[in-house]
Amino acid sequence: MNIVVLVKQVPDTWSERKLTDADHTLDREAADAVLDEINERAVEEALRIKEAQGGEVTVVSMGPDRATDAIRKALSMGADKAVHVSDEALHGSDAVQTARVLAKAIGTVEGYDLILAGNEATDGRAGAVPAMIAELLGLPQLTQARKVSFDGSTVTVERETEEGLTTVQASLPAVVSVTEKINEPRYPSFKGIMAAKKKPVNTVTVADLGIDAGEVGLAGALTTVLEAAPKPPRTAGERVEDDGTGGTKIAEYLVGQKLI
Amino acid sequence: MSQPNGFTESEERLALRAAVADLAGRYGSGYFTARARAGEKTTELWAEVAKHGYLGVAVPEEFGGGGGGIGDLAAVCEELAAAGCPLLLMVVSPAICATVINRYGTAAQRQRWLPGFAAGTTKMAFAITEPDAGSNAHRLATTIRRDGVDWVLSGQKVFISAVDEVEAVLVVARHVDASGQRLQPSLMIVPTGAPGFSYHSIEMDILSPEKQFTLFFDDVRLPADALVGSEDAGLAQLFAGLNPERIMAASFSTGVARHALAKATDYARTRAVWDAPIGAHQGLAHPLAHCAVQVELARLMTQKAAALYDAGQDKAAGEAANMAKYAAGEACAATVDQAIQVHGGNGMTSEYGLGAMLAASRVARIAPVSREMILNFVAAHTLRLPKSY
Repeated sequence: MNIVVLVKQVPDTWSERKLTDADHTLDREAADAVLDEINERAVEEALRIKEAQGGEVTVVSMGPDRATDAIRKALSMGADKAVHVSDEALHGSDAVQTARVLAKAIGTVEGYDLILAGNEATDGRAGAVPAMIAELLGLPQLTQARKVSFDGSTVTVERETEEGLTTVQASLPAVVSVTEKINEPRYPSFKGIMAAKKKPVNTVTVADLGIDAGEVGLAGALTTVLEAAPKPPRTAGERVEDDGTGGTKIAEYLVGQKLI
Repeated sequence: MSQPNGFTESEERLALRAAVADLAGRYGSGYFTARARAGEKTTELWAEVAKHGYLGVAVPEEFGGGGGGIGDLAAVCEELAAAGCPLLLMVVSPAICATVINRYGTAAQRQRWLPGFAAGTTKMAFAITEPDAGSNAHRLATTIRRDGVDWVLSGQKVFISAVDEVEAVLVVARHVDASGQRLQPSLMIVPTGAPGFSYHSIEMDILSPEKQFTLFFDDVRLPADALVGSEDAGLAQLFAGLNPERIMAASFSTGVARHALAKATDYARTRAVWDAPIGAHQGLAHPLAHCAVQVELARLMTQKAAALYDAGQDKAAGEAANMAKYAAGEACAATVDQAIQVHGGNGMTSEYGLGAMLAASRVARIAPVSREMILNFVAAHTLRLPKSY
């Protein structure tokens, strides 16, 4: 089975994340950049499917030059090759524009059976791109998967949302997005790390994908960030000394917060 | 992004560091100290590090290893220590023993041992230090003599790490001829179960999962292929293993120092007894900055030593490895000490785990070669001053 995995480089969730004052886009200098953890799980799932069924895993990413590091991490885990869409014109693109570009980039991969993605990135948290791509490509979408299985050309997914658990099925090719419950991603082995640099990465511009630069980027985005404020600093919290009434005081606090 | 040639590590090396740091971070110092306090080993950590090929990075690919160098192995060692869970046997088993067997072993010996080192399933200890010789290889009293096609080993070793965890020990001993004349030292592979070989643990005041042992060889009979390398090769062969040991010991120490420094700076950023966090006071900020400089200088020298060694420049690597080991030992002892100072009373509590690092950080100035012996070496070899011994 040939699998495309969508990956994204995001600011490390452990570091201080900021938007720039100039245009409210991500301040890429402010934080360390890492492969989004949910994408590591998507890559892991792709590798497990490949190990069981054979085939090829292609990583597709959109991002600035330094997104190469995130792509390299996916390749060091065991993915075979990559398509990297890198273009200044993409700066500030919204979810719809991103989905259009990624759909075109996926189109450069020959003969794929499955597109895997994380259900939502830790930075944007729109959770919309996998569904949008499915729509653009005319493929079935099976989102928020916590388990994926195959029977011939049928994919079955356990879909877990706040409303509960559903089992959904579709014929391949299809788009599947995974949640953090899907698996535990592997660490890249030393051999994987050494092999990653030799794996092919096809770097393309929006023009290469047949997209007019004017259709992407901040100016043409359908959504606009009007205002952004940094999150308030962490407060010291309330300290409860336990003089025998500690349990009661904690319960009272939780009742006061309407948590119990 | 372009890399300033030679002064930063390769992308692959940095990716290896990140992967090991990720894995080790899931274990951390809490796991390590709990195991050490309970007198238990860190077996599952070793196994998981091994499974990803991180212990076999320096073993040639034809034996299932990663085909990298000592620089890669040292990076693994340092990142584990920096995450609070150092693996002491890394300094010995894959660094000294695998290197010596790979460089000087016969085809059969390499085939017998290297796949196990690559997979991390083989553990081997290393024994040179003796009660009356210290690290003076010229005065080693442990001997090997021929008896027919066999070898017979007799003598005693002290401060040998982790003998209870290994299947064999690589022992340095001197040949004696029929007239009892002592000849060149060689390296012998001695299975821990060999008849006549016994070992006893030494009570140490160091919190570590790895124990220290005294070894006794009472006419231990060994097959012809126990000898690694040639009988009369002497010290050059030995130093093929000791230079990686120094590089690994330096990495171990800089990793421990980084761990202590991270704890100290975390604490100094958040702890406030007046209005400002204590890290704002120069009385604490400057000593920590000084530690950071020392650690980074030691890391740079360690990476230089590893690069020279991996480039086959044994002589230059020897000098650099000694200097790196010295600098790392000093940086480690100073940083753990300062980290405790920053923590005040908390620095000596079990909860913060720094007191537990104190004795181990002090070892960095003593083993595997003492600060004084390194200074002797630098005085004699780098400065060409006359020797006193």
